[in-house]
Amino acid sequence: MIEYVTGLLILAGSFFCLVAALGVIRLPDPLIRMHAATKAGSLGAGLLTLAHALFYQEMGNSLRAVTLILLLLLTAPVAAHLIGRVAYRSGEPLSERTWIDELKKKTNLPP
Amino acid sequence: MSLLILNIVFAAVFTLLWDSGNIILFLSGFALGYMILWVTSPLYQDTGYFKKLPKTLNLTVYFLKELVISNLRVLWDVITPRHISRPGIIGIPLEARTDLEIFMVANLISLTPGTLSLDLSEDRKTLFVHVMFLENVEKTRADIKNGLEKRVLEVMRS
Amino acid sequence: MMTGVSFLSGAGQAAMAMLVTGMAMLLFRLAKGPTAVDRVIALDLLSVLVVAFLVVFSLHARNTTYLDVAIAYACIAFLGTIALVRFIHRTSLRKSSRPGSPEPEPPKGEPHD
Repeated sequence: MIEYVTGLLILAGSFFCLVAALGVIRLPDPLIRMHAATKAGSLGAGLLTLAHALFYQEMGNSLRAVTLILLLLLTAPVAAHLIGRVAYRSGEPLSERTWIDELKKKTNLPP
Repeated sequence: MSLLILNIVFAAVFTLLWDSGNIILFLSGFALGYMILWVTSPLYQDTGYFKKLPKTLNLTVYFLKELVISNLRVLWDVITPRHISRPGIIGIPLEARTDLEIFMVANLISLTPGTLSLDLSEDRKTLFVHVMFLENVEKTRADIKNGLEKRVLEVMRS
Repeated sequence: MMTGVSFLSGAGQAAMAMLVTGMAMLLFRLAKGPTAVDRVIALDLLSVLVVAFLVVFSLHARNTTYLDVAIAYACIAFLGTIALVRFIHRTSLRKSSRPGSPEPEPPKGEPHD
């Protein structure tokens, strides 16, 4: 039983990782690529680690798996924030589908 | 805060008393310790702990739900040949003030539905967010404020 | 009828194949990427995929030691990404300042740098 659950989690997690890589290839501009890379990548790796923790249930392994998940969930947004900020400030044009940019006109925001 | 440490120590001792521990045993020890602390709660002064834990659980469940939903939307945009994304950058007025609150809000925004926190304004009152599927600016802004930020602040400030 | 162990082994092999395909696609983006930021994105995701591969391989080889490797690799890859981003940030600032001036002024109005 536990083998089937683990196998399904592995397949789902690696599928999300594959989708993240495909998104980095296919999506039009760096900021949108960050969306695919951050979310799908961290969810995929998190699912794989969860499968590992389910399969080896002893305490040391579970703690290591929890550490790895926390590490991924903490570092992914920080790296995404830094990369996104640099991508915006480097002045590369965003994709033409971007239809509103409030960061450019930093004034007249709602209170 | 000291109650949280006490609870974790209780769970650890509970786990160590068995032959071989696993994470389920640890969690049940944590739940048992929580119940014991709750029963004896008139003995302690800071009772904020018992309000904080359900809110943390609420935030965790909400966050996991949003993480899965956002991933499915991104997945759909990636694997279908036509691009359905309508990206945009909007500013969200923040109520979070301290560094830790802003850090939590920005991190969780980066991990939930098609949003990526880009930059913080100089007066630390506006967070600029890149949204992947932006249909209605006011609605998205209200969603983030009332959904995520409110729950984070409930946890941090109770 | 498949037994659980053979299903898990097959799933592990399929997962490793998917992860390696993803890494190959990322290498393509790493080589082609129009800007430096694209390359950093590809490298960042590549490190996440390496961590994922290590976890799957740890399950497949029935050896939990690889999980330690994954943790250490995740830490180091994060530091590498941060260093690269800082480097790009600095060079893009230098490029955007006046050409000819040997020592560019520190930028004004950067909120937190």
